[in-house]
Amino acid sequence: MQMLVIKPKVDFVVTVEAEITPDLAEDLEKAKNFEVYYGKDKVKLKELFEITKEGDDKKLVLDGDFSKVKWIGCRMEDGEIVVKGNVGANCGAYMKGGKITIEGNADDWLGAEMSSGEIVVKGNVKNCVGCAYYGDMQGMKGGKITIEGNAINYIGEKMAGGEIEIKGNAGDFIGTEMTNGLIVIHGDCGFVGGDMKGGEIRIGGKFELMPTFKKSEEGFVGDVNVGGKGVVKTL
Amino acid sequence: MAQKVICTFCGSVCDDVEFDVEEFKAKKFCKLGRSKFSKKERIKAPMVDGKEVSYEEATQKAAEILVNAKKPLLYGWASTVNEAIRLGVILTEKVRGVYDQCASVCHAPGTLAVIEEGLPGASLGAIKNRADLVIFWGSNPMEAHPRHPLRYSMSAKGLLISGRKDRKVVVVDVRKTKTAKKADVFVQIKPGYDYPIISALRALIKGEDIEVDEVGGVSKEQLKELAEMMKSAKYGVIFYGLGVTQSRGRDRNIENAVKLIQLLNRYTRFVIWPMRGHYNVVGSGEVPAWEVGYQYAIDFSRGYPRFSPAEFSANEVLQRKDCDAALVIAADPVAHFPKASVKHLKKIPVIQIDPFPNMTTLVADVVIPSAVYGLEAEGTAYRMDGIPLRVKKVIDTEYWSDEKILEELLKKVVELRGE
Amino acid sequence: MHHMLHIKNGIVIDTKNGIKAEKMDIFVKEGKIVEESEIDKSQCKVIDASNKLVVAGGVDMHAHIAGSKINTGRTMRPEEMRMVRQIANKFRASVGRVLLTSPAIGYEYAKMGYTTSFEAAQPPIGALHTHEELDAIPMVDKAALPVFGNWHFVFKYVAENDIEKLKTFIAWAIERTKGFGVKVVNPGGVEAWMYGGNCRSLDDEVPNFGVTPREIITSLIKATEELNLCHSVHLHCNNLGNPGNFETTIETMKLANGFSNDKRQVLHVTHVQFNAYAGSSWRDVGSGAAEIAKVVNGMDNVTIDMGAAIFGHATAMTGDAPFQFTLHKLLGARWSNKDSEVEGGAGIVPIMYLPKNPVHALQWAIGLELGLLVESDKVVLTTDFPNGGPFTEYPYVMAMLMSKKMREKELERVSPYVQKAANLPSIDAEKTLDEVMHMTRALSARVLGLENKGHLGVGADADISIYDFNPNEIDTSNDYEIINKAFRNALYTIKGGVIIVKEGQLVDEVWGTTYWVDATNKVDTEAIEEDLDKYFELYYSVEKEHYGVEEAWIKNPTRLVMG
Repeated sequence: MQMLVIKPKVDFVVTVEAEITPDLAEDLEKAKNFEVYYGKDKVKLKELFEITKEGDDKKLVLDGDFSKVKWIGCRMEDGEIVVKGNVGANCGAYMKGGKITIEGNADDWLGAEMSSGEIVVKGNVKNCVGCAYYGDMQGMKGGKITIEGNAINYIGEKMAGGEIEIKGNAGDFIGTEMTNGLIVIHGDCGFVGGDMKGGEIRIGGKFELMPTFKKSEEGFVGDVNVGGKGVVKTL
Repeated sequence: MAQKVICTFCGSVCDDVEFDVEEFKAKKFCKLGRSKFSKKERIKAPMVDGKEVSYEEATQKAAEILVNAKKPLLYGWASTVNEAIRLGVILTEKVRGVYDQCASVCHAPGTLAVIEEGLPGASLGAIKNRADLVIFWGSNPMEAHPRHPLRYSMSAKGLLISGRKDRKVVVVDVRKTKTAKKADVFVQIKPGYDYPIISALRALIKGEDIEVDEVGGVSKEQLKELAEMMKSAKYGVIFYGLGVTQSRGRDRNIENAVKLIQLLNRYTRFVIWPMRGHYNVVGSGEVPAWEVGYQYAIDFSRGYPRFSPAEFSANEVLQRKDCDAALVIAADPVAHFPKASVKHLKKIPVIQIDPFPNMTTLVADVVIPSAVYGLEAEGTAYRMDGIPLRVKKVIDTEYWSDEKILEELLKKVVELRGE
Repeated sequence: MHHMLHIKNGIVIDTKNGIKAEKMDIFVKEGKIVEESEIDKSQCKVIDASNKLVVAGGVDMHAHIAGSKINTGRTMRPEEMRMVRQIANKFRASVGRVLLTSPAIGYEYAKMGYTTSFEAAQPPIGALHTHEELDAIPMVDKAALPVFGNWHFVFKYVAENDIEKLKTFIAWAIERTKGFGVKVVNPGGVEAWMYGGNCRSLDDEVPNFGVTPREIITSLIKATEELNLCHSVHLHCNNLGNPGNFETTIETMKLANGFSNDKRQVLHVTHVQFNAYAGSSWRDVGSGAAEIAKVVNGMDNVTIDMGAAIFGHATAMTGDAPFQFTLHKLLGARWSNKDSEVEGGAGIVPIMYLPKNPVHALQWAIGLELGLLVESDKVVLTTDFPNGGPFTEYPYVMAMLMSKKMREKELERVSPYVQKAANLPSIDAEKTLDEVMHMTRALSARVLGLENKGHLGVGADADISIYDFNPNEIDTSNDYEIINKAFRNALYTIKGGVIIVKEGQLVDEVWGTTYWVDATNKVDTEAIEEDLDKYFELYYSVEKEHYGVEEAWIKNPTRLVMG
């Protein structure tokens, strides 16, 4: 059952910053007048998107290419968002609940500082998955992020809880300064576990563990540089 | 008659060099600085769409471009003075654009490391006075900062150091550079393995054993020796360069190195510092920091500053096609940026402010020639270690200074916005 | 812009001129307070201040508002800069939580009715950077204090016992840095840090120089007094931040014995809260504030400022580099450091004060104790921004000093450790509004030697603040919420005769002046020229001729020539 359907109606010259959440699905007029940033201009959602309401679920269907639309699902608490295409940066940032499904590719800072909820990306994602914004002490605290494809660098840095699963390959800096939570990478990845304090990382393919881990029954324990008890093991 | 001037080429900002105005000759400069302080081809006059115009007309057109854009990118800044940069930041805030500076393609990882861990450092004078162990990591000053070894680091004399023989010089690099050939110890590492090597060093310094025999092409023995050397120095310094900031690991490399320095200070005194490239790239980060809170990759779309390198670095903005106009000052992105960025730059209106023609001049719709700071205009620059120096004007010129151009631009933008 | 103002029927408190909550008119012309006879009432803008408190603009004599360590602090802490205070419109965008951008600093002081602020520690070789940042702060008048306590020239002249050369050097240095006076931070200790050490006691010798903090401080006081600078030696004591350090502080204060000055103190000891700890470790740390207060009250030539700690975020940034490293180790926090050539150093560590943390609660209590126990003519209100906390919380401190009830309420939410380790719970004293105005206006101006600030007498600068309450109808013991609120948003802030704030909102932007002190007429710099040349050649990394700041590079300088 579909709910609020949002389709881009112009080719975006610059990015749009739209902190839209499933709350919008409740009231079509409110949704149409919801203000977003298009470059330096504050515009109403209806000026850039066609919005139709088809049902009463708390669900947004973003139908089209949203690669130039940022902050989708920011701070959302419940309900569902489906992006039938690619999505821009900061998708699902500070998410507190609900579910986001991206059928295309996602951009940087997916699920940043997420505390609960679920994000599924059918395609690939770029950098900084479930990480902390600069200067903040903790990254993802709960919830689950699943990437069907590949990721690049910085996965679950400063993670304090929750789960990240990458079915494909990833780049460098998996679980840096992690204190809790679980990261699973089915494919290959690069540098793993720097300054890890706790939590667990499981890797299916090749990876480069930091030299500051010690072999144990569970796998590798470290990072000794921070007196860490994080565990890195093969899947 | 030669007079003392202050060089405005690289981050060493040597202030013991001389320039003879009558003969137009640079003395004591290294070849890099001399290339700037010599007669060079200049952009002759302001131009709009290839046609020569007055400064008034050029700045008017430029103002219109900036005001009409949804999201203009204002990039460069590293080779101009603070007075101009400050106007640039205020201008960017006014036109609700994006401010980014050259560090985003070189030393920005160091800034991210400052955020993650801090910067336990020292001025170049403190290092020349005290450092008995100097490590160049991913940095080759003999080529990039030719007088740095003489003035500040390798053979510089100071309070506790009477010269090169009182110092141990170590080079950590992927190949034997010119500087490595002059070092006492050269540690060759596998490209891209700085991060794990630093992690290993931290463990060894702490007295922990590591369960591998080599890291990044360096044997455990060699790592142990390096760790011992660092611990037993009286005052050590790691100077790092693009070798670590622009290779695999980037900001995490520096962050790890900072943690290494933090640890070393529990045993002896140790500092770390970046070998900044342009003479005022430090200023192009410090000025926005005090004006708006951040050093680079700053967006003003919402009327207040937001920092996000992934979204607002010049290359990200260009490759995401997320700007519809650009002002380039004291930089040459067309020459140095990746193809994908240049592709977009060619599609949007570009304003260039620079004394010298370069590749970016070829794509600029509005070209505004400026005076050369240090020669034709004076202003404040920050040396690579943040020490402020007032670069001099020793020659008169008809060219407007960057400061004057930006003042005019700001005035016109304010008028156009009806404020 | 109004050239003439008539502030009518306000209830004025002007402690310098003995005016205690009296109905009085104030007249302003061309930026100065003038006699009524000077005003053409038909041309005047009238401000009806009936039943409202009228005082001089606040004078913050110790804050870290400009310079390289402040900026590195900002760079290190994007999480601080993410708080948006004002979107750019007629005025600049203003951001910052406790750390603020330069425009934000000026705007926030203005909204609070503060009109003068001094950068407490300027690294001499970085003086130009400090001035660039001061010039980026709108609204307030400002100045900077260069640091002398670890400068090699100072060590040399102290070791040689050459007060004449020391005087000459001080005059030269203040002129070159366009500074305001003699700031001393952990004398000797920062030089010791270059070797990994510190100077915790007054008699620890500085490595390679053989001089002690005792000798350094005494010599600097002597030289400053002989030069008769308008501001006294301004000292951040040795042994800061360590349990038991209150004894070092008391011993240090006694170094002022034997010196006297008609116009002001001979020694100002700063942010004493951080130097007022009793006990021997963090486990038995207690308050040494009462002992210190007794000493200060018994001396007539020493003043202090509180350095109060405020619960919430803060950033430790000082020239006390070894202390900053200690703090980094203690907290495991991020750490920046900058050793400067032969002049000193600095360090930065992000911190936070939590009410339930026994040590933080103690620090909070001690700051207030100093404000309460020390006579109001000897203690200035500060938070050593941003070390103790934001200057925007001065109203909180003011309200706390005046209300025992408010303190009791606060004590309920803090760690019970305070009950046994601090004096605060047993202090009944409540400062009056007069006293608190004195501690934030007349006293701070007098401590600095600024004759035209901190009061509303004829001839004073027209820096005036009007607050939304009637001092004659308020009960500061009970109405602490009104006090706390009223001082955050001035009804009017007037700077140099221009109304810049109305009802806590900015209405106009002005640019203040940068004061600097010129004492060069009292010395002959020839006497130290040879030493200067030698040191620059051997130990500095810049040419002597390129060292320092020219007046022309400062936007709006005011040169104060020492008589």
